[in-house]
Parts: sequence; C-alpha cells; structure tokens
Amino acid sequence: MGELNRTLFYDRHVALGAKMVEFGGWEMPVQYAGGIIQEHTATRKHAGLFDVSHMGRFILGGAGATAFLQHVLTNNAAALEPGQAQYTIIPDEQGGAIDDAYLYRFIEDEYLLVVNASNRRKDWDHFQQQIKNFRDVQLTDRTRESMMLSLQGPDSKKLLAPLIQSGSLGQPRRNALSVVTIAGAKVLLARTGYTGEPLCFELFIEAADALKIFDLLIAAGAVPVGLGARDTLRLEAGLPLYGHELGTDPDGKEIPIFACPLAKFAVSFSPIKDEFIGKVPLKKQHEAFRRFMLGDYSHIADLPRVVMPLALVGKSVARASAKVFAGDKHVGYVTSGTMVPYWQSRGQGLGQQFTDATALRAICLALLNSDTLPGKPLVVEVRGNRVEAQVVQYHLRSEAPPYAHPVLLEQQRQAVLVGATPGVQQVHDLLAGAIENTIWRQQECMNLIPSEMTISPMARLLSIMDPSFRYAEHKAVKAFGDAEVFYYQGTDFICRVEQLLTEQLRLYFGCADVETRAISGQMANTVVFSAIVDYLNRGNRKAEPRRIAGVMNNDIFKGGHLSAQPMGALKDFLARDSRTEAPAAVNFPVLPENPYKIDVVACKKLIDQHKPELIIFGRSAVLHTEPVAEIRRFVEQIGLRTFIMYDMAHVLGLVGPHFQEPFREGADVVTGSTHKTFFGTQRGVVAGNCSNNDRLREFWEAIQRRTFPGAVSNHHLGTLLGLLMAAYEMNHFKDAYQKAVIANAKAFARAMRDAGLNVAGDSSVDFTQTHQVIVEVGYAAGPEIAARLERNNIIVNYQAGPHEEGFSAAGAIRMGVAEMTRFGMKQANFQTLAGLMAETILKNKKTGDEVKAFRQKFQQLQFCFAGKEFEDEISNLHSLI
Amino acid sequence: MIPQDYKYLKSHEWAKIDGDVATVGITDFAVGQLGDIVFLELPKVGAKVNKDSAMCVIESVKAAVDINAPVSGEVMEVNTPLTQDFETLGKDPYGQGWMVKIKIRDAKELSSLLGAAEYKKVTEEEPKH
Repeated sequence: MGELNRTLFYDRHVALGAKMVEFGGWEMPVQYAGGIIQEHTATRKHAGLFDVSHMGRFILGGAGATAFLQHVLTNNAAALEPGQAQYTIIPDEQGGAIDDAYLYRFIEDEYLLVVNASNRRKDWDHFQQQIKNFRDVQLTDRTRESMMLSLQGPDSKKLLAPLIQSGSLGQPRRNALSVVTIAGAKVLLARTGYTGEPLCFELFIEAADALKIFDLLIAAGAVPVGLGARDTLRLEAGLPLYGHELGTDPDGKEIPIFACPLAKFAVSFSPIKDEFIGKVPLKKQHEAFRRFMLGDYSHIADLPRVVMPLALVGKSVARASAKVFAGDKHVGYVTSGTMVPYWQSRGQGLGQQFTDATALRAICLALLNSDTLPGKPLVVEVRGNRVEAQVVQYHLRSEAPPYAHPVLLEQQRQAVLVGATPGVQQVHDLLAGAIENTIWRQQECMNLIPSEMTISPMARLLSIMDPSFRYAEHKAVKAFGDAEVFYYQGTDFICRVEQLLTEQLRLYFGCADVETRAISGQMANTVVFSAIVDYLNRGNRKAEPRRIAGVMNNDIFKGGHLSAQPMGALKDFLARDSRTEAPAAVNFPVLPENPYKIDVVACKKLIDQHKPELIIFGRSAVLHTEPVAEIRRFVEQIGLRTFIMYDMAHVLGLVGPHFQEPFREGADVVTGSTHKTFFGTQRGVVAGNCSNNDRLREFWEAIQRRTFPGAVSNHHLGTLLGLLMAAYEMNHFKDAYQKAVIANAKAFARAMRDAGLNVAGDSSVDFTQTHQVIVEVGYAAGPEIAARLERNNIIVNYQAGPHEEGFSAAGAIRMGVAEMTRFGMKQANFQTLAGLMAETILKNKKTGDEVKAFRQKFQQLQFCFAGKEFEDEISNLHSLI
Repeated sequence: MIPQDYKYLKSHEWAKIDGDVATVGITDFAVGQLGDIVFLELPKVGAKVNKDSAMCVIESVKAAVDINAPVSGEVMEVNTPLTQDFETLGKDPYGQGWMVKIKIRDAKELSSLLGAAEYKKVTEEEPKH
C-alpha cells in the first residue's frame, strides 16, 4: 500500500489529540485524548461526532440505476421512496458478502451507496464488471469530493437543530432523509448511523464546506469519537462489521449472508427484484433460517452457523477468533469481543435514569452453530482458560429514545416471581389498597386522561348485578326470519337489555345498525377489519382469503391510535405493498401548520393515487373534526369503492351537532369505546348504515358474524347492563353535556396559553374542537412532567408529538376535560386549574394540596339520573350485592 | 519520571529488587500506550514464572497484552485490589500500581535487565501510536 489517504479533517483530529492509525488505506483517528471509554460513554449520554469520510461513496444515476442496484445488492432498491435509506449487502454468487453498505435516495433520480473503506476498491471493481450488462447507468466515486460526518447520541438532535437554517431534521424515524442548509452550506442529512443510538444523523457535505460544519458541531458540544469507540458502540448494538461477522470466518470459510441477523431486513426476494447475484444460495439460506424460527434444523447444512450476541459470565475478555464450546463440543467462534463501558442507572421503567457512574462488561458477537439457543451455558476459551458465557438476545435496546439502553446479562436472567400462598393479611392489604386508590382517584385527583370517564352510581351498580355472572351468546338465524336465537336459558332480561341498548344507540348515532357485543374499542376495530376481509372474500370461499389491499389512516406519530395501525389491530388484515414490502398503509397528509388536521387537498391526491380499500378516520390525539363529508364526496366523484370508517373512540360522546355527525357526513361504519367521552362502562361498539344499503347489507352481516362467534363468546353482560343506563343518560343529557365539554376544553386551552404554556392545535378555533387539549412541554420532557403532575394529584398522560421519535421522547401532555366536566367543573374552574398546572409545569411548584382542596368542590357526578325518586331502588340494589 | 533504581524489560515491565524479592509492574509508558485498561488478570500465588515469558495479561478495549516476568522464580504475592481499580495504574504505576512479587530463583538473571537510562532510550525509539 502506498501513501495513506487523509480526510479533510486530518488536522482537526491531530489538534484534538487523536492517535492516528492506518485503517483501510486511510490515516484515521483511533481515539482522541479522552480515550475510547470516554468516547463511548459520551456518545451514549450526550453526542459523539465521527469522521466517516474514509467510507466509500458511490453515486448512481441514469434510467438503469435501479435495475443495476437490484442486481448487485440484496435489498429491494425499488422500495426506496425519495427521502429514504436502507441497509443492504453486496452479495457474491455463493451467497456470501463482498461488503455491506447503506443505500440512500435523497432525490428522485439518484442513489448514494456508502461502502466500507477497506472494500471500496474491491466493490468498485466488482461493480465495473457487472455494469457492462446494464444500459444507462452512471456510476461515479465521490469519496473525495464530499465528506461524511456521523453525529450520534441523545443530544445529537438538540445540538443539530439550532444549526439548521433551512430544511428540517426529517421524519422522526430511522432511515429518513432530508436536505438542509447549515452555515450557508447544503447538507444531505440522514437519520442513520452504526451505533445503535435512536437519535442518529449522518451528514454528507461538499468538501469546501466540511471544515466549518465540523467546527460548528464540535463548538456545539459534540465529542469527537475515533474508530476505537465506533467499534465498541457497533458491537454493543449487535451490528455486523465486515471482516468479523461478514466475509470469512476464522476457519477461512465464507460466512453466509443469512448468518447475520440483519439479513432478514437486508435481503429481499420481491418478485420485482427478479434475478440477482447470489439469489439461489440466499434462498437456500433463507429457507434454513425460516425453519430455524420454527425449531426445525433439518436444513442446517445450508446455514450451519449464525451470529449471536454472547455475554461473558466469568470475569475475562474474549476477543475475535476465540473458540466457543458447549461442553466439549466446539460450536463456533467469537467474531468480535471486548469490554465495553455502560452507564449505570437508577430508577425503574420510564423513570430509569443514567447515573454518573459507569461500569464495564465483557460482550461479544459470536458465529455459533445455528441450533444454539439463548440461555444455553457455553464456555469461551481465553488463553487456555475456560470462561463461562451465555447467548443473550441482545446487548442494547434502542426503542426508548432519546437513549440507547444497555441490557445486562443479569436482567436477561431475572427470575420469574411467583406469589406466596395468601393469608388474611393479604386480604386486608388488598381491601385497604382499593379503598385508598378509589378515594384518591374519585375524590382527590383531577382526572384529565382523555380516554377515561367515571360512570354514574347507577351505571356502576347495574354493572355488578346478576348479569355480570351470566352468558348470553346469540345469533340471528335466517331460517327464523333473522330472529336472535340464544343458546342458554335464563337470558330473557339481558336479551331485552341488549335490544334496548341497540335501539338507544341507533337513536344516538342516527344510523340503522349497531353491534354492542365487542368488549373494547380495539376489539370493535378488529371486528370491522375482519369483517371487511370476510366480505371481500365472499365470492372466494375455497382459497386462502386475501387481505385488505390498502388503507389510509392517521400516522401514529401524528395522533393515530394503534387500533388502526399495521403494528396494532390491522396487522393480520392488511396486505403488504408489493413494491415496498411494507404494510400497505398510507397516512393522511397533514397541514404543515397543524399536524393534527388532515390536509384535504393533498389527501384527495393520495386517495386517487393509492385507491385505498379502507379509509380510517379517527385518532387518539384528537383536536379537530375529520373531513368525512369532503372525502365521501370525493370518493363518490372518482367512483372509488372504499369503506369509510370513523374510529370515534375518543369522541364517541360528542356525536351530534356540536362536533360531528359521521353518518350524516357519509361514514359507512363508526367504531368506538364507550367510556371516554361517552358515559359508559368499558366496552366497544360498532355502528353502521349498512343494512339499509343494498351494497353493504352483507357487510353488516359479516360484522355480526365476526363479533360472534368471531371475537367474543361471553361478552361481559354486567357492563352491558351498565352501558344501557349510560346510553339513557347520554341520550337524555347530551345537548348540555356536549356543549359544556367543548366550551370547557376551549376555555382550558386558552387559559393554558395565557399562563405561558405552548398549546397545540388551531388557535382560530381556540386550539380544540373536542374534549382534548395538548400542551407541548419540551422534547422528551413529557414523561417527567406527567409524573410531576401526578405527584400533585393531576392525572394526565404524556404524548409523543409529530416530531418525536417515540413514547419515551414524548414532548407533550394530553388532557381531556370530559370526566371533570361530568363532576361539575365549568369554564372558570378549568381556568383555575390551568393556573395551578402552569405553576407546577413551569415553576415546579408543589400544588398538590391546593389541587386536592379544589377537587373537594367537585364530588357529585352530573348529567345522570339521581335524586329521591330513585333512592329506594338504589338501596335495594345495594342490599342485593 | 522513570525511577532510576529500578530495572526494566524492553517489553515495558519494571522490577524493583529488594534482596531476593522482585516487585514487578508495568511502566508509565506502557500504561499510556495501552489506553483504557479494562481487565487485568494476575498470576496465582505460588505460580512458577520464567524470565521474559508471559506471567499475566492486561487488556485495553482494543487489545490484550502479555506481561512478562523480568526474573524467573515463584509468585509470592499479587496486588489483587489493582484488578478492580485501574486508575491507580495511571496515577502511580511504580508504587501502588505494582502487580506481582516474585521470589528470585537465580540472581544472575538480574544482570541482563535494563537500567533506567537504557530503558528510556527504548521508549524514545518506539513509535508512538
């Protein structure tokens, strides 16, 4: 090797005290003055800045670029939309890796492929061979012309955001891309990285601008990190490194690509990918891997060993190529291993916090016989000593941003707690606990969770009477003219109750069909999804039913609820998009100035483009009405046959002229839970306007079938009885109640704003048209503020906003006024409450006693039947318990 | 910085000779070269060690490095607390940072050890990385 390459940052590295070493033909910092441990821990707690300009950067353009990439890479390049990136592998004909890489598509007609520095030449030569078979592909090596920096860690976002002059940080998801301006320079920004950090950015910068941006990031507080900590960070994250987990193993054999756990995301067999290099052996590996997941090792010869995280139990350090044994049997090798530092933490769950103390742990990645299971005791041979070790599921978890959390061996070995045989004391404790909890929540707390509601004393009593111990399965039988047939005796009363409830809810919704047997809102949604699949397949009863081809729903990051998400209730009912290989859900576009409101113009374009079979309105962070009527008109206009569903869970109790009348606006089906703004016991409901519509009559029958016997047998008859009382209350009191709720929410929102808080939503409608108020409290501060309010007897929930990466990074609190409105609070009372809350949120003032005293004024539940005329019956019901 | 009355190996171990006992550690230079130390495995008391052969191992994040015995003999005592406290190695490598005491088997071996000045030359010639 001749003269070593240097990146433009060489002098900066030296000035920062770096030890420079040769790596892949480049002279790079292995560590700076602080050392590897400090750089590793700084990245995990603050932010690390890595010069990764030595990595190869190839640009691909031309009409044939996608086809070429589909051939030379394992992943599905055609699945990338502009603004997305993916991990991928460069395969050889044998199903091994020439290299691993990251593919970025910043703009429509150009791809950027980043490869390992030490393989750049090899990759280039391989591509030059392959490119001969493709037309119109331009491949250029831009490694020299642009620089690449990686900024990783929990502080990376707050450090980068103020530097951005135009453009945005991009969607708060891994692999999202954006183009921004920093210090007047254009920077391509990717939410990617190789450290396991959930907040991670990589910056591609033109050479002329690179130094000033490096200096800005260092000045902002990023800690420079060398190759040493880059390696320990990726090892802790369980990410493969070419030459260790990919390439050749210590026996000199090529490691199959599926030996790396990331292969399940990085290898695509999509039909649109067609033939690609290594497809045949990769299919074999995949089949072996697929069988392993089912406990079938019959194809182990096609994938003899796979990479697994291994933790040392004994005190030692195991390094690459150390042999691993199960008893006396040699089962594989360590491929990467060292001691890595981690922050010790205190507290539990969401309250867990890093302390200022670090510790070390010896961890590895190991290429082990594929039938080695997690938890199996193993030994690693270190300098002739046998050191106890164990396969673990992971060393680090990234799902609770802004931090990556170490998962220690002890945590993965925790014993399962089994209770002791209870005595009288346990009974006393339980009774006392229930009394204390009920007094606190019912008499001393401000209950502002928008999905909760206290039910009336009557509804409460009814829900624990005799029906709560009974069964009443029933089904409409066509032979008897659709009469409901019950399978058990003794059900006349509850049969009548269900009939009355159905009639009351028809009155409430103004619709023809109501199904009341789902016992939760999420179950109601599942029933509808299952019924749609059933209905779509009714002409096809002998083949595997097809799924719903596409849905449009609210983004979970913008208030959508998991009961209408592919990761939630939609999972088993929604098809995958054949191009993206992801669930075929398209999110409603939102207004740039108000992410809680659908952009109707953009939405129509998307509907026309994607033609969803199901459109699901409704969300759990709900401030505004949904454009049901406009979208109904539009789908009629373009002749699109689609189901329009409105999950009204949160706003079920607001149906009517003060908020929205979904059936009047053209919804086919409404679902909801009956206990948020509605007055009910905790159940679900499905309502429809189907049986009076020739096209949808059979759909409603499918909904009934998928409820019973599809979803429930026993459907909790006690709460059904309670719900009938709630429906009476709602139909009787709704006009005054709904008006009061919406007026209170608006007054509460205005008062919050006036108290100096940042209130989300459209200010021209006083921030809200529902019972909800959302207050932004600062990035990732939501959980702490919510906990602080709880200590002061105010119960809210933290809520991730549209720019936050997940629940643990939530920067907002969400409140609902429905329950406290029912306890009699008026606009002025909510203004008082807003003042107390602002004191606690902004000044950390202890307001718990004041809140408790204030709550004493609101003890009597309103909007329900009460008074002397019911006293005898109430006391009779009490005596029967 | 380098104690004048100690003896040294090219491989950066020091030995302080006190009668027939050699107290052994690694030099300040070695500690600096290793970087972050994460693991130290000391020999067992009673173990026989041979001059210029590995007697124990010290590990940084990046690598494991053998520590050689400057003299042959038997391990009399080891500095166990040091395995839990690598900071001492950085702060006081020639004192509190000692690792092993060896009962010297053959005093003649001492003559081949380096003096302070000779060892200093070794460190100056070695490329720093």
